Amino acid sequence: MVNAAAVSARGLRLVARAPILANPLNVVAFVLIAVFALCALFAPLLAPYDPLFQDLGIRLTPPSPEHWLGTDSLGRDILSRILYGARISLLVGVVVVVSAGLVGTAIGLVAGYVGGFVDEALMRLTEVFLAFPALILAMAIAGALGPSLTNAIIAIAAVTWAVYARLTRGQILSLRRREFVEAARAMGATQMRIVVRHLLPNALAPLMIQASFDLGSSIIAAAGLSFIGFGAQPPTPEWGVMISEGRNYISTQPWLSLFPGLAILLAVGSFNLLGDGLRDAFDPRLSRAD
Amino acid sequence: MRFLGFLTRRIVGIAAVMVGVSIITFAISHVIPADPVAAALGDHATDQQIEAFRAEYHLDRPLPEQYLTYVTGLARGDLGRSIRTRRPVSDDLFDSFPATIELSLAALLVAIVVGIPAGVWSAISRGRLPDHLVRLLSLIGGSIPVFWLGLIVIGLFYYQLGWLPGGARIDTFVTPPPTRTGLYIVDSLIAGDLEAFRSSLLHLVLPALTLGYFSTAVIARMTRSSMLEVLGQDYMRTARAKGLQERLIILRHGLRNALIPTVTILGLTFGSLLSGAVLTETIFSWPGLGRYATAAAIALDFPAVLGVTLLAAIVYPIGNLVVDIAYFWLDPRTQRG
Amino acid sequence: MFKQLRHISMALAVAALVAAACGAPTPSASSSPGASPSAGGAASTLVIDRDTSDLISLDPAVLYEFSAVFATHNVYETLVKFEGTDLTTPKPGLATSWDIKDAGSNWDITFKLKSGVKFASGNPLTADDVVYSVQRAIKLNKSPAFLFTDIAGLKAESIKATDPTTVVVTMPKTSSTQTFLIILTFTIGGVVDSKELKTKETAGDFGSAYLLDHSAGSGPFSVDHWTKNTEVLLKANPNSATKPSLSAVLFKHVPEPTNQQFALEKGDIDIANDLGSEQIAALQGKAGVTTTSADSLLLVYVGMNAMFKPLDNVKVREALRTAVDYDGIVKNLLKGNGKKVQGIVPKGLAGYNESTPFQADVAKAKSLLQEAGQTNISLEFLVPTGSAPGGVAWSDLAAKLKSDWAAIGVTVNIKQTATAELLATYRAQKGQLVMINWGPDYPDPGANVNPFTDYKAKSISFRNGWDDPIATKAHEAELISDPAKRVAAYKEITDYVLHNGPYVVLYQPAELFGLRSNVKGFNWSSIGWAELASVTK
Repeated sequence: MVNAAAVSARGLRLVARAPILANPLNVVAFVLIAVFALCALFAPLLAPYDPLFQDLGIRLTPPSPEHWLGTDSLGRDILSRILYGARISLLVGVVVVVSAGLVGTAIGLVAGYVGGFVDEALMRLTEVFLAFPALILAMAIAGALGPSLTNAIIAIAAVTWAVYARLTRGQILSLRRREFVEAARAMGATQMRIVVRHLLPNALAPLMIQASFDLGSSIIAAAGLSFIGFGAQPPTPEWGVMISEGRNYISTQPWLSLFPGLAILLAVGSFNLLGDGLRDAFDPRLSRAD
Repeated sequence: MRFLGFLTRRIVGIAAVMVGVSIITFAISHVIPADPVAAALGDHATDQQIEAFRAEYHLDRPLPEQYLTYVTGLARGDLGRSIRTRRPVSDDLFDSFPATIELSLAALLVAIVVGIPAGVWSAISRGRLPDHLVRLLSLIGGSIPVFWLGLIVIGLFYYQLGWLPGGARIDTFVTPPPTRTGLYIVDSLIAGDLEAFRSSLLHLVLPALTLGYFSTAVIARMTRSSMLEVLGQDYMRTARAKGLQERLIILRHGLRNALIPTVTILGLTFGSLLSGAVLTETIFSWPGLGRYATAAAIALDFPAVLGVTLLAAIVYPIGNLVVDIAYFWLDPRTQRG
Repeated sequence: MFKQLRHISMALAVAALVAAACGAPTPSASSSPGASPSAGGAASTLVIDRDTSDLISLDPAVLYEFSAVFATHNVYETLVKFEGTDLTTPKPGLATSWDIKDAGSNWDITFKLKSGVKFASGNPLTADDVVYSVQRAIKLNKSPAFLFTDIAGLKAESIKATDPTTVVVTMPKTSSTQTFLIILTFTIGGVVDSKELKTKETAGDFGSAYLLDHSAGSGPFSVDHWTKNTEVLLKANPNSATKPSLSAVLFKHVPEPTNQQFALEKGDIDIANDLGSEQIAALQGKAGVTTTSADSLLLVYVGMNAMFKPLDNVKVREALRTAVDYDGIVKNLLKGNGKKVQGIVPKGLAGYNESTPFQADVAKAKSLLQEAGQTNISLEFLVPTGSAPGGVAWSDLAAKLKSDWAAIGVTVNIKQTATAELLATYRAQKGQLVMINWGPDYPDPGANVNPFTDYKAKSISFRNGWDDPIATKAHEAELISDPAKRVAAYKEITDYVLHNGPYVVLYQPAELFGLRSNVKGFNWSSIGWAELASVTK
């Protein structure tokens, strides 16, 4: 006989192999992310200059005590621009992941739980979206809607949601037959209750891992779109825009493009590190969604 | 027989996906606030010229009719005319496709040739320096923006050091080989033209490494984690207990099983290579689909955007199909009835 | 284990086969790579890096894009041409003389042709070829055709060959003969080999499909091949009267200015066409390279929509004009690669007005706004993406203007827009502030003044919602035959537009080139080409 209370408790506790923070790499990840988030949130306090203020007299100066990362082609302080850029990147990452994640998860839940024709149809839809090479679809959408950061976010979310749908559906399918559902049914729980209290938490782990990686990849995607002119527009201090603005100066003033690129590398790297840590912490079989 | 049924189902699936892709791309390209014709004809165009142009490209017809015209054209292999270049889109695609395929295959090759051994090495030396090194490099590979990497690579290896060429597919004064596959490397070998082979190979190095870095990182990590899982399993212990040489164990048992998930993601990898190619081609002046797609998107040249998207979107399902076919033979479990 | 490797390689092979199947040669003419530019090879081939994504056709009756004009100018000869930098007096080209007769309601222009001219094919050039060339341009009715049909008022019947060396053109008196002669210097006036084209015609296209990527001209070069998205190769024409020192000219399509700069410094190319002002600055003093700048006929300006409140108030427009730091733009953003010009006729054309009364005067601008009763203005500013002529990023210009206008209390919201959308909005009169550049279709002041003043022409004036009676004066000025009187008339018009029009003309950009030091004789004409026959390396 199944002890219902124990089952539901087990269902809610995320099965972790080891405490996440035991691994020093995860600590590094958390620290980097914290730094990134702090830079983003407190940019107005941390930035020594106004990121949009132009001082044409000091254009293109290399890193110096007054300007730690130098100045760009319009005499703007690069450090300040990078700090403000962190805000934009964080915003992009969070908005994309939350929106794509919510939409995708909802669709995946429906597909997994309802099954049948609805499931088939929704999975075909995800296949269609997954068939598009991400950047090309994003370019088409951003091109059609017009170049702006908002449209870039929409475009990137449009290429991201499908993975969450498939992940969630996969989890639902593998979990729905399991003991907790039977037990919960035996206890008389309603459908909704089953989904929310039992299925969802267990599906959460791979979703969180995916979200962590997607936080990073959407920052890169946004920077890429901005680089070719489809995303954020100058004078916005978005990192991709900054790299683009600096590319013609690469032979003589490489710091213009170097630092924003490093910023992207660090930010995305920290999210990837986090994702790795999460993946190692949870049962690796859980993350192998199909 | 089972295989045939499987194949048929998959091909039908691919067709369904393509229909979906075409509808979505068509919808995106046509629900735009701007008129691409004005841009195509330029600032000086008169209203009459614009009207004539619109009529020629059926842009004055209602949307569903345009879609129908497009789809019936597709059946004939007619992808319409590019608004920007005024040529049939299929011609434009035929011109640019081989360059991208060559670049993507080269990048994929790099990813496999470097990534798999790196992943194996990393797994074997778990916790020691090589492992940390590979993991660090993989982390960087998965986090680095490819366009930034390209800028740095060109600046360093072409401009500063002069070791490798920094753009185009072949030297200015070397004749490209006669077209057989469109892949310069292959065609020059077929023609026995060693100078063209050498030149195009050199030109391929930097872009392939840049584009391939991300996939190398992904494959290295995948190989590492599946090797680790396999290495820890019971039957491995059994094999060790039997006294077989460590190396043999790893290679024969470990690698075979570790490769299965790696092969699985090869299809995904090829798709992501196409995405990465967009930016890589722009930086390296590589005359491929990516550069064409960028120019098309900027010009709101939706027949071209549609064409590129359809072509690119078919690669992923086909790649998956190829992988699934390989998987079919690889995995002993699927071979049993 | 090897079994797995075999399967992987099989998967790769299948993929490669799929690729090969798709990459197989097609009937399309462009799929075969051309011959190497090696009649002499690297030593005598001029390699030019340029963004040639605007190329659509090399047919002189069809082409209208900058890259095509540059390349094709050296492939075809015209009846009259300009020499050196003087763009006011057409000189004899294929025509040794011409005679303008008053024929009632028309002008009759009789051209006498040079004898002994041969096309690249060896066919002799006769009056029939001239007639064929003009007629096919009119009948094909592509982008540049309006120059003949609208500006010059020609029809296909307007041109006749009275004997093998004489061509007569009849044009209505509503058009200016001077303007017609100037139009003839442009690529649309290029004379094509009618005998050869008649053998290449398909479905009544006057050989246009053939001329898309081939040539049939008498100029110093002929088209060897055009590999789409990659390169255009011109090789020396042995049958031409002008013998170039170069054996070939190669235009390589390299859109990234950084790559152009690197290639130039490494010596892999001879001329870099699209360098930014910073890169030009970076090249100074480097061994083996030199830079040159030449006038262009472009104007970079901001259009203010006079139908949009409060821009309908001329004082508001004047205030915006007054607030801009033009000197700062030229000195700091362009690094001197441009001229402060505030009128609608660029330097180099007759009718150029040197007057530049505006330079950032915050106090004056503010008081103008006060007089107009507008103190809290917020406008949307459409800005193109990429680089502006003169080598500065559009976004940098926009940011500078934004801050200049912020100083007088005007807020502008920069909206960088892809060309397609920007043009569409602009043409529909829906822009508020639009920054863009303009180049004349032919080097005559009327080519600017008319679009900038004539609302009915549905050009620049229309897009900015400005319908002003000055347009009538502009048309009259165009037909004045006395050069001095014409210039005086244009001065009056441009002075008026300076203070009343809906334009903030920012600068006239220079065209910047990076060259290897051994390249000599490269002289850029502001119309948009260089005589490659005189270049040596």
